[in-house]
Amino acid sequence: MDYTKRVSQHTATAYSKIGLKAGLEIHQQLDTGKLFCACPGYLRSEEPHFSVIRRLHAVAGETGEVDAAVAHEAVLGRTFLYQGYNDTTCLVELDEEPPHFVNEAALDEALKIALLLNCEVYPVTQVMRKTVIDGSNTSGFQRTVLLAHDGFIETSFGKVKVDTVCLEEDAARIVSRDEKAAVYRLDRLGIPLVEIATAAVLDTPDKIKETALKLGEILRACKVKRGIGTIRQDVNISIKGHDRVEVKGFQDPAMMIETVRKEVLRQETELKQGKKEGAVRNALPSGDTEFLRPMPGKARMYPETDLPLLTIGRERLNMLKKILPKLRTEIRDELKKKGLSEEMIRLVLDGHLDEFETLIKIYSKDADLVAKMVVLWRQEFASKLKKSFEEIEGVLNERVLEQVLEALVKGEIGEGDIKGVLWKVTNGAKIEDALKIEKIDDHVIEEKIIAIVRDKPGLRAGAYMGMVIAKMPGVDKRKAMEILNRLVK
Amino acid sequence: MAELGFNAGDEVRFRLAQEEVDGIVLENPDSSVVLIKLKSGYNVGIPRDNILASRVLKKYERVVKEEKKSEVKRKKGLPVLGLVVTGGTIAAKLDAKRGGTSWLTDPGELMRFYPELFEMVDVKTIDVPFMTSSEAMTSEHWIKIAESVKKMVDDPEIKGVIVTHGTDFLHYTAAALSFFLQDLTKPVVLTYSQRSIDRASSDANLNLVCAARAALSDVAEVMLVGHANLNDEYCHAMRGSKVRKMHSSRRDAFQPINCEPIAKVWPDKIEFISEYRKSPGGKTVLDTSFTDKVALVKFYPGQDPSILDLYALKFKGVVIEVGGLGHLPPSEAKHNWVPALKKHIRQGLVICAAAQTIYGRLDPFVYSNGREIVDAGVIFLDDMLPETAMVKLGWVLGHFGWKGKVKEKMKENVSGELNERIAV
Ligand SMILES: [Zn+2]
Repeated sequence: MDYTKRVSQHTATAYSKIGLKAGLEIHQQLDTGKLFCACPGYLRSEEPHFSVIRRLHAVAGETGEVDAAVAHEAVLGRTFLYQGYNDTTCLVELDEEPPHFVNEAALDEALKIALLLNCEVYPVTQVMRKTVIDGSNTSGFQRTVLLAHDGFIETSFGKVKVDTVCLEEDAARIVSRDEKAAVYRLDRLGIPLVEIATAAVLDTPDKIKETALKLGEILRACKVKRGIGTIRQDVNISIKGHDRVEVKGFQDPAMMIETVRKEVLRQETELKQGKKEGAVRNALPSGDTEFLRPMPGKARMYPETDLPLLTIGRERLNMLKKILPKLRTEIRDELKKKGLSEEMIRLVLDGHLDEFETLIKIYSKDADLVAKMVVLWRQEFASKLKKSFEEIEGVLNERVLEQVLEALVKGEIGEGDIKGVLWKVTNGAKIEDALKIEKIDDHVIEEKIIAIVRDKPGLRAGAYMGMVIAKMPGVDKRKAMEILNRLVK
Repeated sequence: MAELGFNAGDEVRFRLAQEEVDGIVLENPDSSVVLIKLKSGYNVGIPRDNILASRVLKKYERVVKEEKKSEVKRKKGLPVLGLVVTGGTIAAKLDAKRGGTSWLTDPGELMRFYPELFEMVDVKTIDVPFMTSSEAMTSEHWIKIAESVKKMVDDPEIKGVIVTHGTDFLHYTAAALSFFLQDLTKPVVLTYSQRSIDRASSDANLNLVCAARAALSDVAEVMLVGHANLNDEYCHAMRGSKVRKMHSSRRDAFQPINCEPIAKVWPDKIEFISEYRKSPGGKTVLDTSFTDKVALVKFYPGQDPSILDLYALKFKGVVIEVGGLGHLPPSEAKHNWVPALKKHIRQGLVICAAAQTIYGRLDPFVYSNGREIVDAGVIFLDDMLPETAMVKLGWVLGHFGWKGKVKEKMKENVSGELNERIAV
């Protein structure tokens, strides 16, 4: 049968028949400093300031035998080169100083995520060392701590169980690798990562995608890093009779359905050929997957003896519960209540929520007006002036919008003046000058409008408006309309 | 943990208010929390108060180890060395099953942890005089190490000796051996690790292999071998009496002070930088006469000179870490030290001066303040390290035959502890 046809024929019942079972494992970088030292957590592209040469050795495990994978790497006799920066990497990343106590801000953020996922937080836990064999950690292990367990998220198809939430340090970034040497950059090493693992209960590609999106929404409500490489999503997939396959490297949840479909077909084909081994596979942009490596054995895990046990008190959790961020769906509902249209909500949520929330605090009477200031008019001015949105945003920044709203609250300008003021500022006027609007006394406006209507009677209110604006360019249009509506019945 | 009926190593099911948890109980010094290893490999703690009930699923089975230690497997044809193991990070291994650490002393186990060393040399004898951290040592431990080393250097088959040791006070032991082992005929090399040996990145491997390389050289001195810098490339061989721990955590913590290293040492070669002593032949003399009645005192501004009265009650000699080129509060100062120094020296207390700056040489003749201290009878020890000076003073005062010659002996360059020429 034709491949694509087969793909599309898989329905939910078909998936349940073949016993699809999938779970998600998500690694998300937190937007805080590093987990075990005082360095900032950002990546750098300029020439490194120094590099250090290291070799890794086979380590005899607790039972005496050498970890096979470590031994394999060590036998290669590879040299590792670690690049660093004097101002953003320190002795801790170089494994030349014991780890500092876990970064409190990162821990708070991870705990917030655990609480949003309805997890049980362990009152006492221990930072562990997970043996890492490829040189991506200067120490030879990755530090990780289990924070919480047994949570759930709500989806359209019911609750999805969250097994565990861990807080981990990210690994060093690979720069180049050949047979003899691997070069890593230390900027990424130690950036806090939250690892979320769902139970393997997802039985259709659509459910996998929805769960991934929902988890993404929860993460984005917290202080997490954005952009390529800041989130890594793995899907564990198996069908009845086949061992678990870990598919890594999803960048786009949109590709998830296609990738899972194709992986299921691949596993079906393998079963027909009498094969069933699990493996780690890489998700390709086409939706196919490629073999990466065999399924690793359980990582050797032992305690981080340089750190005390981590105690997470009730008071801390209660405090965090009070400041849990709202999810997008909740925010959406609130914006709707404030009277914003679906389209306007979409625009505001597209990276302008913080600004919107700051400004609505200054002027809460008209959410629609504030939303227009934040997104719509900037967009309009940008296209009028053939400039980028960012450029306009640079001129009409949050501070400018604040000043304009403050003038509105003080009654120095009317709602109808705002667009004009912003336009003037965009065209180079100082905000103070733009706000100096010829204040026309309400009585004067009314008198002039009465005169206009008397001159040409019988027209509709809208038609008079043009004449009013021509006569009084700075007029508060709302007010003028009000008067016109009263006069023209 | 007796009252709950389980012990470290047992697999236990705990009933808590909301759930049941299974795990292997680990050792935990804090008795208010039961630390367990979950099936996933993660360790978590359960506050004891939260445990409603517990049931042992599987008792810990102690693997009965052979009482007899395994023998060193010798490799014929390789150069022969002796190894003295005394404790420290380099010989501490984690017990992941039950928590805590234990010492690595069994020859077979040492071979498993340090395969590179045992592939490079034929370790004829492994002696374990004691196992302790360096902060727990006393001069008795130094003497025991010297005795172990002496036996090995007297063995004609052995070309050199490696001593593994904790890092914190390693330079004291290095200084002590430098004085205890007179007329040394073979290399004696102390080494260490700053990073625990469970790490694939531990510095122990390079240090040990380079120590072996140095122990196969013709340097008839006590040396300390360790990382030259942060790279896992080569080590420095440093004179035992002129080396000091200068960093709390870096792998190149040990630095030669007021001199150059003796050599750069790679696993497969050695490149000499400084002059060194070769064996004149004959036999190594063990000279461990030592008195503990010596003290190292750091001077600080405002320090009351009557502190010397306290030292004089118990000690025969004191090394004072003095300021700058050799200064203590002079006669015009409020806390004038000169009368106290004079009084105690007259009454028989030996008082030496070493540089608080660590780097550089004392010179009491630049300022009148320094001259006053010399005139009081304080022995100025030039560029000698304060720690080395203290150890040497204990050794010199331990020799009753040298009474009356203490100053002369302290100023004599016995094992390279003094350097007349500090390079730029
Ligand atoms: Zn750092």
